[in-house]
Amino acid sequence: MGQAPPDVKGHIPQGVELPPARQGQRALERRRRLAAYLQLAPGGLYMVIGFIVPLAIIVYTSLSTSGLFSTGGKSVFSWEWSNYSTALDQYHDVYIRSIVYAAIATSLCIGLAYPMAYWIAFYGGQWKSTLFMLILVPFFVSFVIRTVQWNFILGTNGLIFGPLKSLGLVSQDFTVLRTPFAVIAGITYNFMPFAALPLYVSLERIDRRLVEAAKDLYASKAMAFRKVVLPLSFPGIFAAIILTFVPMTGDYVNAVVLGGPKTTMIGVIIQDAFLVRHEYPVAAALSVILMAGMLVIALLYARALGTEDAALAAA
Amino acid sequence: MTNDQRGLPGLDAALARGLTSRRMSRRNMIKLGGISVGTLSFASILAACSGGTTTSGGTQSAGSVNFDPSTASNHVNFANWPLYIDKAHGTYPSLEKFTNETGISVTYNDEINDNASFFGEILPQLRAGQDTGRDIIVITNGEYLAALIANGWATELDPSFRPNFDKNAASWAKSPFYDEGNTHTMAWQSGLTGVGYNTELINKAPTKLDDLMSTEFFPPSSVGVLKEDAPNLVMVNLGIDPKTSGQDEWNQAAEWLKKLRDSDTFYNAYDQGYIDDLNAKNLSGTMAWSGDVLYYKIWAGKPYEFIMPADGALLWIDNMLIPANAKNPAGALQLMDFYYDPPNAQMLTEYILYMSPVPAVQQLIAKHAQQETGTYATQLEQTAQNALLWPDQELLSQVSLGRNLTTDEESKAWHDTFDPIWEQ
Repeated sequence: MGQAPPDVKGHIPQGVELPPARQGQRALERRRRLAAYLQLAPGGLYMVIGFIVPLAIIVYTSLSTSGLFSTGGKSVFSWEWSNYSTALDQYHDVYIRSIVYAAIATSLCIGLAYPMAYWIAFYGGQWKSTLFMLILVPFFVSFVIRTVQWNFILGTNGLIFGPLKSLGLVSQDFTVLRTPFAVIAGITYNFMPFAALPLYVSLERIDRRLVEAAKDLYASKAMAFRKVVLPLSFPGIFAAIILTFVPMTGDYVNAVVLGGPKTTMIGVIIQDAFLVRHEYPVAAALSVILMAGMLVIALLYARALGTEDAALAAA
Repeated sequence: MTNDQRGLPGLDAALARGLTSRRMSRRNMIKLGGISVGTLSFASILAACSGGTTTSGGTQSAGSVNFDPSTASNHVNFANWPLYIDKAHGTYPSLEKFTNETGISVTYNDEINDNASFFGEILPQLRAGQDTGRDIIVITNGEYLAALIANGWATELDPSFRPNFDKNAASWAKSPFYDEGNTHTMAWQSGLTGVGYNTELINKAPTKLDDLMSTEFFPPSSVGVLKEDAPNLVMVNLGIDPKTSGQDEWNQAAEWLKKLRDSDTFYNAYDQGYIDDLNAKNLSGTMAWSGDVLYYKIWAGKPYEFIMPADGALLWIDNMLIPANAKNPAGALQLMDFYYDPPNAQMLTEYILYMSPVPAVQQLIAKHAQQETGTYATQLEQTAQNALLWPDQELLSQVSLGRNLTTDEESKAWHDTFDPIWEQ
């Protein structure tokens, strides 16, 4: 009576008769697999309830009609594709503006956060963690409060321009708030840590011996950076761009608090349609367009520049 | 009421109040609360998709509600705007008085930050024909109030159970055009939308709404606009009666607003929060609510003025109403009528400085001023004498309650005309 030998990884082929001891092993394996699914379940369920279900509702609503008076605010499904054409017709300029602002702010974020993350990763030494924590300190204050503070700081007669105006260094009419500058500056500030985190992670992981090797091969400091450090930090840059550009495009806090009628971003339009006018179908269509647009941009971008490590760096 | 009751020992009552409970504009709560998702009721979206067609579940037929005070249960839930009631040391004196007189306790929630989001919050229950958990809510005249009434979501009131209202309500509060015969609503407080400015920042005192776009009066980039009220206010000032206005008149108002938006003086357009920018000196002048400006002028001593533009102003009324299927309509109506007894209405006005729907309060405050001394007496005196708080017929002939939007088509045309001005 020959026993079926286990394969190299200890896997037991299906349908093989096993003595009681080996059967126990198979049950154990099944339990292990089940445990893996169970580990996925809470997070997965959370995503289904928190993301998939609302997404389905939003898509459903975007194809409905509703009116305060005719339907009592209820969305009635009617394949109303015109919600999409209305949204695009009326607000295509705002979509473009949001993307332009987000693109500029993303570049600024990377430009500002990269040297900072680089320095901490390469020269932070024993202070690395402390320095990195400092980047996160602003997160301890509410996003809204921080933005409102900017309103006071940049105000016409605020902390910066009040004294400058009284000293006659700046003209009395000078104003920063309500300009694209203020909105872009606000989003850049608020999202910079999201860029710094993945950049730091990817830079920190770089094997310093590679840089030394480059220098041994007569690379200048700049060339070592360009040929070794920069390419190895691409995953971090990729993740930083995704983590900042996407939420920036939909942001509305900065546009509301620091912007004016000529700097409206799409988030403001969506929140107005949802909360002020209760035009749920149009608001939903606006959201779906934004989401789909972001997805397309992100996929194209991933295809063109992304690397497999990107997700890792973002994690 | 004496100083001691209202203030801290040894301190001027008004000052003490100013120090202990800074009162913000009741409309001044920054809408960014919406970010916390609280206002975007997810339930309302879910409910919005809950199939069915156009019936409004909350409809209550007239006469199906018993308002006899003897049937009132002993608790009322009252939802109102922030800082819109008298308050002392964490309690509400007028509500305590009501409880002492009737045995009905009141849970007071200052949870309404703006009409739109509050409407969105109670919409799912109203549509499902359920109790919203509130016996009284306060909604400004306009689209949402019209929608509440049109959908049968406001309980029809029995006029035989509001003796104080019949006896003491101001002419403007009785039978407003959006609710003839006060079948569903009774005014809580009211105010004017006009022009407020900082006397230290302007170049010259304005008299007309047109002055807002002239640098002769206001420095560059320093004038604010109230988005929601602007169309009606502008129409009044263009000599148009908003009540009967149509698309052509709306276009004229929109043109005027675009001109203001593109003028050198323009700074920003607001849903709320304009008063913060006035206080931060980002604004020198703005379309403003009377109560806000008067509060900062009288109680905080700021160099502010509020004027009614030469061609007229906008009058708005915040209305108490009982949502359909409320648990205690009889108790709610009792409380609503309680505030039409002049001494009770006086408690409110002395604290919140909006226009009272009970004119007799003016005399009571003047009398109270004589009994007090010092700054507090002066402030009460100023309150009693302010023409904007006690509108006479002449003033009332110059104000409008604005356009009442009552169909989806009207509402869409209105928003399509005015919203894009501020959403470029």
